[in-house]
Amino acid sequence: MSRKLEGRTIIVTGATKGIGQATCVTLAKEGARIVATGRDAGGGRATHHLVERAGGSCIFVTHDVRHEDEWENVFAQAEKQFGAPVGLVNNAGTFFVKPIAETTEADFDSIYEINVEGTFLGVKHAFRSFAKFRTKGAIVNVSSLMGQVGFPNAIAYCATKGAITAMTKTAAVEGAAMSPKVRVNSLHPGVIWTPMITSTFGDDKALSDAFAADTPLKMIGLPEYMADAICFLISDDAAYVTGAELTADGGRGAD
Amino acid sequence: MGQVAIVTGASRGLGFAIAEKFNRAGAQLIMTGLNKERGKAAAARLDKAVFVQADHGSAADWDRVVETATSRFGRIDTLVANAGITHGTPTAEMSLEEFRSLNRVNLKGCFLGLKACVAAMRLHGQGGSIVLMSSIVGKIGIPGLIHYSAAKGGLRLMAKAAALELGPEKIRVNSLHPGMIRTDMTAPFPEAQMAARIPLRKFGEPDDVANAALFLASSRAQFVTGTELVIDGGWLVQ
Repeated sequence: MSRKLEGRTIIVTGATKGIGQATCVTLAKEGARIVATGRDAGGGRATHHLVERAGGSCIFVTHDVRHEDEWENVFAQAEKQFGAPVGLVNNAGTFFVKPIAETTEADFDSIYEINVEGTFLGVKHAFRSFAKFRTKGAIVNVSSLMGQVGFPNAIAYCATKGAITAMTKTAAVEGAAMSPKVRVNSLHPGVIWTPMITSTFGDDKALSDAFAADTPLKMIGLPEYMADAICFLISDDAAYVTGAELTADGGRGAD
Repeated sequence: MGQVAIVTGASRGLGFAIAEKFNRAGAQLIMTGLNKERGKAAAARLDKAVFVQADHGSAADWDRVVETATSRFGRIDTLVANAGITHGTPTAEMSLEEFRSLNRVNLKGCFLGLKACVAAMRLHGQGGSIVLMSSIVGKIGIPGLIHYSAAKGGLRLMAKAAALELGPEKIRVNSLHPGMIRTDMTAPFPEAQMAARIPLRKFGEPDDVANAALFLASSRAQFVTGTELVIDGGWLVQ
């Protein structure tokens, strides 16, 4: 059976752990050439290793999504190593839980710069690259269930993920008017067992069991499930899908 | 409506229409905006209304707004975070500075205002109502407005997160989503052409949005929180 992403260059941000790392492996198994980016070179090496072990090709580029010159470098490296990218997974993000009264302006700025401005810069530079190389591109923005429904003590995170949900709509209509057409969709993970969750709430079985019990499908969310959803959205299987919100949350949002 | 309300961006357009409506309903008002002359003139047209010049992206200015409200009127019951700016640029050509300057006011400014007003509402402990002015652009895309999408989509979820956190204190938080309303901001859009896409076949009036804001702010909406009230002539349902 032919692979869905054979020979296609795809950039994945926040690829040093969690959903980003799993996505790199899954896309590589479908034949994609992976440009993994992130701030942590050690995590980048681990991702590189996992992708190669899965039989794929990968480069890691050190990348802070807040810095526009680093975005330019990521695209330049991708073009040089593997050829013009056809896909971008805007996955990098940060998270904290704090009541409104304790959320400082600096807290708000820092989460906004990574989650919102980082996503904007990714879409901007992907659009530029797709236009330059006349690429039929696709972008997946990783929002959250918390970009669809509220969560107490998470006003800043919810604001940033709501921003990503809505930015995806405007990017989708702009991308649809490009030639060739560019698709842009958002993914909305529920509680996924990644370092983002374990570093905030704790890393023990009782907790993951509690999250699973609180989810209609009675499963804990794994990064691999998100990688499969991203693989669908970035591939031609989703050729008619743009501006959509794909929620992958075990049913939490429906409950 | 024997209340004290803060309406931001109140010197013209939707903000002034909301201020006027609240004032007629008996509210004492703090009206804010960037332009001092226009704001003072607007406040002078109303009763028991004070204008405070403010940059809504500044926490210090928000402190001054809240202090003025509590020193002049003794309390705060309602915030309508309406102030906003917009201008269009395709995503591929938008500078980070343009993206950031809009979100500083439209997104962070609303967070700063909400935080300052919640602290003041907690002083009297009798709850309150906060209305965040989102837009249909918080729910659908419009080319050239990715920065505005970020702000308005951000406000949509900010309202829901705050509604959950503040519900036990009877502070209600909702978002308003106007479509095409006749204001200076929408003047560049051709109504004759665009109305064909709107089921009610016309742009709305600022008063339509003011009625919705008054409902959400008043006790008639006492069981309404975390919701989205869309005022768009039916645009989004198609």
